[in-house]
Amino acid sequence: MSESSSLAAASERERALEATAALWRRRGYQGLNVEAICERAGIDPESFEAMFASVEAAAAAVVEVPLVSVVEIVGQLYSPDRSEAESYALAIARILNFMAANPDFAYVAYIAGRQMAPPEVHRRYETGRRFLVVMLERLWGNSGLGEQSVHAGLGGLGGAEALVRREVAAGTLERLPALAPQCVFAAMVPFLGQREALRLARMVAVELPSWEAPPAGRTTTRRRAASQPRRRWGSGS
Amino acid sequence: MLKTERREKLLRAMLDELALAGYEAASVERAQAAAGVSGVEFADEFDGKDECLFAAYDHLTDQVVARASVSCSGEEPWPERIRSGLEGLLEELAAEPRLARALTRSFPGIKPAAYERYVDLLGRFVPFMREGREYSEVDEELPGEVELLAVGAAEAIIFIEVDAGRTERLPQMLPEILFSILVPFMGPDRAADEMRSAAASI
Repeated sequence: MSESSSLAAASERERALEATAALWRRRGYQGLNVEAICERAGIDPESFEAMFASVEAAAAAVVEVPLVSVVEIVGQLYSPDRSEAESYALAIARILNFMAANPDFAYVAYIAGRQMAPPEVHRRYETGRRFLVVMLERLWGNSGLGEQSVHAGLGGLGGAEALVRREVAAGTLERLPALAPQCVFAAMVPFLGQREALRLARMVAVELPSWEAPPAGRTTTRRRAASQPRRRWGSGS
Repeated sequence: MLKTERREKLLRAMLDELALAGYEAASVERAQAAAGVSGVEFADEFDGKDECLFAAYDHLTDQVVARASVSCSGEEPWPERIRSGLEGLLEELAAEPRLARALTRSFPGIKPAAYERYVDLLGRFVPFMREGREYSEVDEELPGEVELLAVGAAEAIIFIEVDAGRTERLPQMLPEILFSILVPFMGPDRAADEMRSAAASI
């Protein structure tokens, strides 16, 4: 295969994955079929069949897209200049930015892969999630804390995901980056304690241009009055 | 109009259908037969499968939240009330694996509007958590939505067990789930104390 045709093939694959994610989000898994995917992606069925054995195989590949991105982000932010926990905290913020910029893949990552996928696709989703749990559990080994729940990592991740899923379900993904400090706190507190989890959350908050709470009535988040100065979460003031 | 008892039987049968057969194959006719409800009676009550399923889910979640509310009320310290409420919920889920599956896995997956109901359900547990802020070991303000973080932590563990078909194990997991609820409010050391205390009582 020449270099130019290889690039074209990569582009077709990306378009097929994007189309599958978009249709999955809008129509549900039952609404996925080769014809609809090809039409949306602008590819012919022969090309689809050359890339994927079935719609289920395409769906499984879609589930892996955000997982691969998460692994890449974690790897990029690993640095000897900061602690492992600080690297993870920054990675959580970047992951939320990625999800906000990729709503269809975020829907697959947080809702469809969990609730609306056939068993094999769901299994891949859970395997990827297990990686994140193991990553968090590494923090406990270095923390010096005493006895720990065996499900602390799953619980920490689940707490953060509850916030994220609410926004993904409501289609308000632009709010995800602002949730980073709270997600960092949720993921870190079982392993590092409240004080250190709050410090890491503050560190991430500094990276945000501003912190705006979701609208009143939908959540328990506090909102500042228009007359009050803007305050970052966790400042304690 | 169906009388309360028969209506509840129909709603229950519809959720059983959903948990056993999945959304596409869930049969209104089988649910009617199980509940002893005729097609005419069903049509008088609901426009179709979706309306019946949503009504069934709303009825189930109202019951679950009401029972949790009773369990979480009382004069005991907040961690004990949370433990009591959680214990009741886990036993309820373990006793009805099909309803547990419909509650967490089957119904939320049928369509986006159904998933929004699930998000709402998690939000209804948030008020039970608020008092936990008084147990923080730091002076600093806890996150604005720490209550939902705690609910989400418990949900994640419960979901995995229900999804894996291990719903009957949930009552034995009370200590670990309690830890995940308490840790954002109390920190890991004190949450672990409560976890050990819960484990000793099982």
